[in-house]
Amino acid sequence: MQWEERRADLKATLAQKRHGLSRGWYKFSRNPLSVIGLAVLAIIVLAAVLAPYITPYPEHAKPYTNFQDGGKPPSLEYFFGTDRVGRDIFSRVIFGYRFSLMIGIVVLALGVAPGIILGLIAGYHQGTWIESVIMRITDVFLAVPPLVLALAITAMLTPNLMNQMMAIALVWWPWYARLVFALASSLRSEYFVREAELTGASKFHIMFKEIFPNCLAPVLTKMTLDMGIVILLGATLSFIGLGVQPPKPGLGTMVAEGAKRLPGEWWGTIFPALAIVAVILAFNLVGDGLRDVFSVEEV
Amino acid sequence: MNATPILSIENLVKHFPTKMGVVRAVDDISVDIVEGDTLGLVGESGSGKTTAAQCVVGIYPPTSGRIVFDGTPIGVMFNRRDKELKRKIRIVFQDPGSSLNPKRTIKQILSVPLKVHGMGTERERLAMMNRLLEMVGLPPTEYLYKHPQAIGGGEMQMVAIARALATNPQFVVLDEPTSALDVSVQGKIINLLTRLAEELDLTYLFITHDLSLMRNVATRVAIMYLGKLCEIARTDEFFRSPMHPYTRMLLSSIPVVTDEEELLKPEKIVSKGEIPSPVNVPSGCSFHLRCPERMPVCSTVDPEMIALKDDRVVRCHLYDTPDMGVLDTIIIP
Amino acid sequence: MDRLLEVKNLHVGFRIFEGHLRVLNGVCLDVKDGERVGLVGETGCGKTTMVKSILRVLPTPPARVTGGEINYRGRDVLTMSRREMQALRRHELTAIFQDPLQSLNPVFTIGTQLRDIVKDSAIGRGRRLSRREIESRCIEALRETGMPDPERIMTNYPIQLSGGMRQRVCIAEALSTNANLMLADEPTTNLDVTIQDQILRKLDELVEERGASVVMITHSMGVVRDLTERVNVMYAGSIVEMGETREVLQNPMHPYTQGLMASVPKLTGEGINEGIPGRIPSYLDPPSGCRFHPRCSRQMEICSTESPPFFEIANAHQVACYLYREDR
Repeated sequence: MQWEERRADLKATLAQKRHGLSRGWYKFSRNPLSVIGLAVLAIIVLAAVLAPYITPYPEHAKPYTNFQDGGKPPSLEYFFGTDRVGRDIFSRVIFGYRFSLMIGIVVLALGVAPGIILGLIAGYHQGTWIESVIMRITDVFLAVPPLVLALAITAMLTPNLMNQMMAIALVWWPWYARLVFALASSLRSEYFVREAELTGASKFHIMFKEIFPNCLAPVLTKMTLDMGIVILLGATLSFIGLGVQPPKPGLGTMVAEGAKRLPGEWWGTIFPALAIVAVILAFNLVGDGLRDVFSVEEV
Repeated sequence: MNATPILSIENLVKHFPTKMGVVRAVDDISVDIVEGDTLGLVGESGSGKTTAAQCVVGIYPPTSGRIVFDGTPIGVMFNRRDKELKRKIRIVFQDPGSSLNPKRTIKQILSVPLKVHGMGTERERLAMMNRLLEMVGLPPTEYLYKHPQAIGGGEMQMVAIARALATNPQFVVLDEPTSALDVSVQGKIINLLTRLAEELDLTYLFITHDLSLMRNVATRVAIMYLGKLCEIARTDEFFRSPMHPYTRMLLSSIPVVTDEEELLKPEKIVSKGEIPSPVNVPSGCSFHLRCPERMPVCSTVDPEMIALKDDRVVRCHLYDTPDMGVLDTIIIP
Repeated sequence: MDRLLEVKNLHVGFRIFEGHLRVLNGVCLDVKDGERVGLVGETGCGKTTMVKSILRVLPTPPARVTGGEINYRGRDVLTMSRREMQALRRHELTAIFQDPLQSLNPVFTIGTQLRDIVKDSAIGRGRRLSRREIESRCIEALRETGMPDPERIMTNYPIQLSGGMRQRVCIAEALSTNANLMLADEPTTNLDVTIQDQILRKLDELVEERGASVVMITHSMGVVRDLTERVNVMYAGSIVEMGETREVLQNPMHPYTQGLMASVPKLTGEGINEGIPGRIPSYLDPPSGCRFHPRCSRQMEICSTESPPFFEIANAHQVACYLYREDR
């Protein structure tokens, strides 16, 4: 008897979620650009995950030289041409996406969660010392330009991917703290929050179960749009030598290497640069689509 | 009349200091509610009726005065009240669209009071939720898993009522529970509330601005203007012979739909002037600037509450001398 | 009296995720010169959609007019060019909505907004007014609505005024255009009873003076009783009963109207009835035939198959209900 009840309960809950998702997809798919963005993103992610299996020259992503084939223009053999030491740029670009996506994911994971938590706490305790402390710390971090701070941190520590990611994460959390703070402090006076308070619900419940679900939409949208910016930031750091170190195939690193050969051997720089543009654009389009999904239709 | 009241408000004052001055939302009101009664609290904007209810429920701590519930003083904010009290006194807000979290399902919404007050195991709580929904007339299988936006306003308010009753309370504050709803749905909700009051031994503080509704719902009526009480009386007495000039102005302004009702309204008092802001309460009797029966004393001296027979209370200089003769002459033919 | 506005068999729908919402279902409305007509209906009956259709301010991607005409002085509004429509909105039609905070721009003073309207309305008629003329017209308009101290109000921002005063400003704006037809969509619903009384009376006075027509849209039967000569009762996208206000309120014929009248709490204290059972129908899959039939205690077979036309009861009192077919 108990098992059956539970099953019915679960079934009904899932059915409701499914309905919500299909409605979300409908809203998303109204804009063809968003769908294109999603498709491009899916291809990039899939390619990055399956890189060793689908690239023509996976070994070129590791230390490899073949000066004989160096500096060859794009051809059927080497889709994007080869770089100075003979490595296939196409394969390296696909592997390069691995780094870019990883930077995005790790930074957001490291930066977003603390930002949200701090923002919720500060927002719910608006007007008290808790809010002041949290938000002043946030202000300090916001006052420093992200690139400068990331530069400083990576320069102090050994330049490598891990440090780069942590540096960016450190600069990123305040934006989420501020976003969630703004949302939470305005939601605090909503009647359903008041109702929970009057019922005797714990502060934890109110912050994370009542207020937070109403912050989800802007946060998710921002995360999607941020992915593009974080990836760009990572590429920039790599470009100036503070991120992915050669011979690893970071996209920014590749742009820097190929830049020395411009304008003659343009394919060394242009293709990695276009790859960066493509992934950022894809994230932006998906982000726009998400904004549509979360917008409330008024009929 | 002689039973000890379940809720007793004594000289309640609630002021809000703001940049533009002190907002005297509630300015010394005293009223008792007997168990099982429905006290109707009526007033227009700035009257302080909502603030008074919010003090009862604990949204604000009083600036001064006492609120006594079942013999215990409770005049503190909710975060300083113990859980038992939060279980016994509940509130239903006006707009179910904002009192129900749009991102949560009805099951999640109803589970909050049940979980907070430790009412049973998860299985027992599910059974309770089913029962609560059935009690308000909503089939559980249809409604439990929906989000508030998927159901109509009347049904949302019924969920809010179910939520309020989930903790087996004794006293429920209803803050304009049907003002946001259509009239064809209103009846169902009101009748539900009346029925539940009887079945579950509830006492209500019912706030509204709709006097016609009040006529059919409340056992006693109290009218507020700019933070003070003007008149308290049993419902039938109140409507048959309204004493305070503000009460008469109010009654004569309401739009009615039948000729019989038109006859019941007091003689037309054309309301003039705007309702003053609670930051700038006029001197003397706060109503004197708009009062058609204004006397010289009204602009200088604030009248006291005068207790009359039949459990009536009025606050107006017209009745300063408790002359029983005066009472008889104002009954509407 | 000429027919000023004639909505003929209007069908309006919306396209959403779940499908196609068929909201307005052949709704009809007549307004003559100088008439005060009430449109009574509850939430979701489509009255706001109809107002927006008349003003042509419905966003037409999700919304679609699938049939019918809206004739203003004989010309179909739905086929007018943008220019013609703009001219109509400037000089002939005006509207007051429920929430003045939404109609008034919060970052401009009352004076700025009112002056704009007065100036625009004059220019449209080919006249230029001097600054002093504009100013005095604005102040006059405010004073006419019963606003105390209009000169000071001109310098205030909407947020500094009370709800009643804001609504008076909206009325002043509406009347400054010297329009012939005013669409008032729940103009006093959010206001206190004593203020509502004042404002409605004033509106009545002013409209009478100018010989303008008003469509008073409300859910309150009481307001309709005090302010209109004729009334239309709307349910789920069409009119179910219409006639002279007194007549309809005293002798409601349509089961919905009867249900509504019975649901209104009365000062006589006879208790409140259970309201009308059921909910307003879904516009996605509306009931066939008469849209009210699933909730009707007296439904007959034909009610679910065919939409009832209007049957005449007394002079001008018409009901869209098969209960009143002649051969019964």
